[in-house]
Amino acid sequence: MDRVGITTTIPAEIIFAANKTVVDLNNLFITGLGSSGYIEEAEVDGFPRTTCGWIKGMYSACLDHGIQTVVAVTQGDCSNTHSLMEILKSKGVETAPFDYPLSRDIKMMKASLLRLANFFEINIDKAEHWREKLNIAREKLWRIDKMTWKDGVVSGFENHLLQVSASDFESDPDAFEKKLDSFIEEASLRKPIHFPVRLGMIGVPTIIEGLYEFAEQHQARFLFNETQRQFTMPNGGSNLAEQYLRYTYPYDICPRITDINEQVKLRQLDGIVHYVQSFCHMQMEDLLFRERLDMPILTIEGDTPGPIDARTKIRMESFIQMIQQQKAALV
Amino acid sequence: MSSVTRCGVDAGSREVKLAFFTGKSLVFSGSVDTVEFYTKCRNGGESLDITRLDQFKEAPPVKRIVTTGYGRNKINIIGGSAISEIMAHARGAIWQTGLTEFTLVDIGGQDTKVISVRDGAVKDFIMNDKCAAGSGRYLENIARVLSVSLEKLSTFSEDSATLSSTCAIFGESEVIGLISEGVEIEKILAGANRSVVMRLLPMIKKQKPERLVVTGGVANNEAIIKMLGIELKLEVTVPPLPQLNGAIGCCSCPE
Repeated sequence: MDRVGITTTIPAEIIFAANKTVVDLNNLFITGLGSSGYIEEAEVDGFPRTTCGWIKGMYSACLDHGIQTVVAVTQGDCSNTHSLMEILKSKGVETAPFDYPLSRDIKMMKASLLRLANFFEINIDKAEHWREKLNIAREKLWRIDKMTWKDGVVSGFENHLLQVSASDFESDPDAFEKKLDSFIEEASLRKPIHFPVRLGMIGVPTIIEGLYEFAEQHQARFLFNETQRQFTMPNGGSNLAEQYLRYTYPYDICPRITDINEQVKLRQLDGIVHYVQSFCHMQMEDLLFRERLDMPILTIEGDTPGPIDARTKIRMESFIQMIQQQKAALV
Repeated sequence: MSSVTRCGVDAGSREVKLAFFTGKSLVFSGSVDTVEFYTKCRNGGESLDITRLDQFKEAPPVKRIVTTGYGRNKINIIGGSAISEIMAHARGAIWQTGLTEFTLVDIGGQDTKVISVRDGAVKDFIMNDKCAAGSGRYLENIARVLSVSLEKLSTFSEDSATLSSTCAIFGESEVIGLISEGVEIEKILAGANRSVVMRLLPMIKKQKPERLVVTGGVANNEAIIKMLGIELKLEVTVPPLPQLNGAIGCCSCPE
């Protein structure tokens, strides 16, 4: 079966409906044994050092795995991705354009979906059927999310890893669904652990290994992964167009801030960690989050894959300790 | 309780700073080169013994040790526990200044911290991004390239040459470029100080300061302190022992 690479969450239903496999190049890069090597390979090929690590990793992962077609998000993703597509095209990779209409207009979204469906030569109704099928797995992910923040039986890292997989359903939706069933069954039997410090993670998924585990070693658990949760389409919708308009990530920051504030309240979070990628335009959004989220925020920056470093540890420890003291003062 | 001496250890990348408290009084303090600290204190096992340092032979016997800094989790000092840098520096500044409402700027060798202290507790903090520009290390490099002491560097704040404030490494080559163009050394030194200030301002402004306390080695740089006061239109307080602030904060609370 043909594999189609994606660089961010897109309507995977259309690709599955075309009887092709979806492969998230981010996941291919970060779970690869030599993820640091992928960055070096891209730099040897001429990518600037001052380019986002995810972009370089995806480039090498795409070529290394022989992915022949990639969906290029022309609106709703970063301009680095646009340049990546140009470079991949020059290497013989076919690109299928898709855009999230910034106006959030339903007619425009329907037109975008149709263009992608036409590219893969499928009827959009077939993709709608796939939406219903994928929603079964998505509902299981929503349950796992609740088992994280409400029941205390799923760790922050497990929550991240399973939700982030909702971009490509690990390239095999049936097997992924079974994996979720087994996970739910196993996690349900666990003894709940409620951590004294409740954290949320916002921004792009982190490239740093061990951040979640480090927090838990210091009495804090991440009970909310903003972007990863969005990959599970938590706001639903009655059709593809509605669903991908309710998905907050590709549009302006206001719906994201509304979503974060709602979840902070619901999950009773004590603090937010804003993860930013070195050289990413989203670093600028930090100032808006600090203005509009009324709670402690720690900004953590990552560049290349690797274990949590001393400077990140010092920031995380201080942040958790500050929250603990603020909470103690309120008692 | 008051007769028990506590020791605060701020294990930095260049120097390890130590402060000794009996009750609420600072009774002894000093610093030691980081390499010397680890070499001399090693007692054969995994833990470190500070009584092996000659400099602290006069210090009273210590019952409790609290560590902070980059080495805090790696070093296992006999009788020691660790607190975060933010907490240590905030407590140190509260003890040294007697203030409870201020914004603390600690400028270390590679990290800069801006800590908002309200009602005697840490309300919020931010630290610099992944770059040593605007840190003590940058000023040390510039002073070395121009063969001047840090003391001399700290006297120039007027008529500054424009230096990039983005990179500690490129700063060096930029300085060499300015010398080759015949720019006066005094202007370059003022430019170096100014570039540190420009790097600090956005971090400080994010915390909406009303009163500023500056600690860390760079607090000894009078030019930077003066420029900060002018730019922010604020009173800037430098406590008596700015470099020992973290070590003091480790043990200034008797609990």
